[in-house]
Formats: sequence, structure tokens, C-alpha cells
Amino acid sequence: MIEHLAPQLVNGLVLGAFYAIVALGLSLIMNLTGTINMAHGSFMTLAGYLAYTMVLRGTSFWFALLAAPLIAVLVGVLVERTLVRPLYAREPFYSLLMTFGLSLMAEEVYRLIWGSNGVPFSPPAALDGTANLGFMVFPAFRIFIAAVLVVAIVALALFLTRTRFGLRLRAAVQDTEMIAALGTNTQLLYAVNFGLGIFLAGIAGVLAAGMLGLSPTSGNALLMPAFVTVIIGGMGSLFGSIVGGVLIGLAISLTTLFVPAASEVSMYVLMALVLMIRPRGLFGEEGLFG
Amino acid sequence: MSEPLLALDGICTDYGKICTLRDVSLTVGEGEVVALLGLNGAGKTTTMRTILGLTPPRLGTITYAGRDVTRWPAYKIARLGIGYVPEGRRMFKDLSTLENLQLAENGRAGAWTIPRVFEHLPKLSELRARKAGRLSGGEQEMLAIGRALVANPRLLLVDEPSQGLAPLVVEDVYRILAELKKTGVAILLVEQNALLALKLADRAYVLDSGRITHSGPAADLATDRARIRSLMGLEVTAR
Repeated sequence: MIEHLAPQLVNGLVLGAFYAIVALGLSLIMNLTGTINMAHGSFMTLAGYLAYTMVLRGTSFWFALLAAPLIAVLVGVLVERTLVRPLYAREPFYSLLMTFGLSLMAEEVYRLIWGSNGVPFSPPAALDGTANLGFMVFPAFRIFIAAVLVVAIVALALFLTRTRFGLRLRAAVQDTEMIAALGTNTQLLYAVNFGLGIFLAGIAGVLAAGMLGLSPTSGNALLMPAFVTVIIGGMGSLFGSIVGGVLIGLAISLTTLFVPAASEVSMYVLMALVLMIRPRGLFGEEGLFG
Repeated sequence: MSEPLLALDGICTDYGKICTLRDVSLTVGEGEVVALLGLNGAGKTTTMRTILGLTPPRLGTITYAGRDVTRWPAYKIARLGIGYVPEGRRMFKDLSTLENLQLAENGRAGAWTIPRVFEHLPKLSELRARKAGRLSGGEQEMLAIGRALVANPRLLLVDEPSQGLAPLVVEDVYRILAELKKTGVAILLVEQNALLALKLADRAYVLDSGRITHSGPAADLATDRARIRSLMGLEVTAR
């Protein structure tokens, strides 16, 4: 039993880290500006394809892992400044519709450039093998993914709690107007915050391309679990997003082991259970859209 | 008299479709304390929000330190040295006292630093690690004033500093404001308690339904019992 259970548990944790990091990006953007970024998955896919093209042209995987998300950030900030910004004064519904339309357009653009079918994107040779964890043997690439995602989450936490910019971001989530009256350029905060969310999505996008495959819709496939993650963790709570992601990852991988047919539905069951007990999610705050 | 530090000229500000300020003109001189009085809904807070760039005016001009700042973004206006102590304090409740002060450091050099604020308001120093949401109303008011000072303002906009505070605490707050006045900071003071504000102020304006209906030396207004009664008495019966 243990020889089946242990790998699935570790798999669940890796999967959970994916959901967590995508959900963190969604939460960052949602908490500050109330924007529900339906195009978040498209930015993941974009970073994945960019990395794929770079590696195809002979760039190293390591460089692509950093460069592809950064290019996605540039595109993201451009989208935020030109398309999302004019909608900040309106209800969240408007930006939701706009970004949803954007994700549909992006999908078609990816089809035009990279084709409708999935493309093979394999991890670099150095990460091809397996690693012996003592109690089990596990693909090295997945260990690497987990490590990168954990480093990204820790770096985000340090950025938010230890830097002046992070302090301003946390304050702006509570009261944007007051932070402006104290001399902070809130438009700059919005742009950097959006870029930060897209950077996390981009990293996840490149890593997911190597583990889960890469196609025009692959990013959007991770978006729904990420939204469920945000809801389980509780809107407004970044910590909740991390916990929610891990819970969903474990739920999916364990149901895959015991009741494979139910693996898709398990996260929704988990969401229903959490909402029955805590309607605002595990760490949720009240009146996010006050 | 030299040019005033702040001058509003013919300001009209709309809130949605409702016109809240009509042709408001007022000035605050360097180092001067000016009281802005009026009933609830007269437009006092809107006047402050207009100066700060949070609710830009539809008509009129705002001049500060010789510059036309009308329709400037709020953060640029703040960096020129206009501090804001808002109604209801508006603390960042989840952040500590110290973090609330750090937020106001915007690179404007001057005599005020966080250590100096702690020196002047020792109570805040004791509470530096406590979340602002867990401070008492009086402590929050001190923190709101300290937060505004960290940015080294030449002009402070202070909105209802006595609201919801016990009389002894109100005395404390006004003692601090009086000390600040001595250091040469100009203050535009909005206050429901007209008599309290007039004791500190050099001049006063009275706002009624978005218009300025009276302006003059604070001492004169303080002796105008009929007007004071209409400013304060009505307020009491209206509640």
C-alpha cells in the first residue's frame, strides 16, 4: 500500500503547488483591484509556448524558464495598462468579461502560431532521471518543479513582508485612496502587482508545459482548479491560496489512486464541503468587493 | 500680504451627479490655522478631498506653493507636502503602528522622521508592534497625526480629529495640534465642535450646502453666539 500511496501523496503536493501558485497570482490581482483575471491561464500558456520556442531554437531550458515568464509579464503589463485599467472604476463584472474575451482570442492566436495539437516539451536532460527519496523513487523533474514553486512562494512572501514596495501593496489592498494620499503612485502599484501575478503564472506555465503537456488550452485547464483553490482558501487571503492549492492537489491525487473516475469531481466536492462549514472559505475575509 | 500657501478659487466639485461644492474660494497662509465649519453634508470633507486630488473639481483652480495643482494625481499632491489626517482615522488596520508610519515615508526631507514622531508621541513608540486595528480611538488619532507628520508636511488637512473621542483624549489631540502650529505647519481644520476649533484657529470659514457663507477671524466668529448656535445647536438637535 505504502509504495502506491507515497508517490501519489508527493504527486499531490506537486500538483497542489501548481494550483497554489496560479491561485496566488489570481488572488494578488483580485485583492488589489477586484479584477477577476480570466486570462490568467492564457498567460501561463503563452509563457509555456515561449519557452518551447526558445528551447527549440537552441536556448537553454534554464534561461527560458526565466525569460519566457518575463516576456509574458511585459505582455501582461501592456494588457493591464491599456485594457484592464479603464475598467477599474467599474464593477468587477466588466473586467471579468473583458479578460474572458481576451482568453478566447489568445487561444485562437496560439492555434494560429503553434497549431491546434499539443507540442512536446520535455524537461532538460539533467532533470530527466529519477531521484531516490529514501522511501521511494520519484521523477527528478517533479522534485525540481516542487523546489522552484516553493522558492517562488517564499520569495513572494518575503517581497510582500520585507520590502517597502510589498508594504505598500499590502496597505493598498486595504485602502487604495489613503495610500495615494500618503504619496504612493497607485497606478504604478497596480501595474507592478499585475505583472507579479503574471510572473507567477508564467513560471507555472513553463513548468506545467514540461509536466502536464502544452496545447492552446493547457493553461485554461489549470485555471478552474486555481479558482476553486481561491474559493477554498478564502478570497482575500494569500495564505489561504497556498493551503487551498495543497488540499486540492492531495484530494485529486488520492482520488486518482482509489476512485480514478472521481478525480475530476473531487475538488468540487471539497469546495462544497468547505463552503458548507465556512461560507467565506478557510481564511476568507468579508466584503472583498464591499 | 504675501501669496497664500494654498488657494482655492471658484471650486465646483460634483459627487456623481450631485454638486457638492459651489464656487468655493478659500486660502490658507503659511503657518496659519484655518477652521472650516459647517453642518453635516455641507461639503467640508469634499473640500479636503478636492484639495488632495481624491475628488478632482469640475471647475476652478487650486494653487499650492505657487503651483497650479488642479487635477494632479493625489500622490503627487501629497509629495508636495500636504498631509492628511482623515475623518475616522483610516488606519491600515492589519499593519502595525510602525508599518503605518513607514507607509508615509515618501522621500520628502525635513525635520520629521519616525524616531522623532516616537519622541513626540511616546505612546506610539510603546505600541509600535501592535496592529493599528487594535489601538484605541485616541491612539489611532495620534497615529493618524504621526503618519501625516512623517511626510514632513507644510500643510496638514485635519478632518474631525475629536470625533468619537473621550473629552480628555480630545484635549490631548488639540494640545498636539497646538504644538504643531508653533512649529510653523499650516493647518486646515474641519471640526463639528466649532468652539474647540475656533480656539486653535486664526481664521475660519463657514460652509453651508456647498457654499462659503462666512469668513473672518476666528476670534470674531467665536463671539458670534447666534452663528455658533446655528453651527452647533442644530447639529445636536438633528441627531
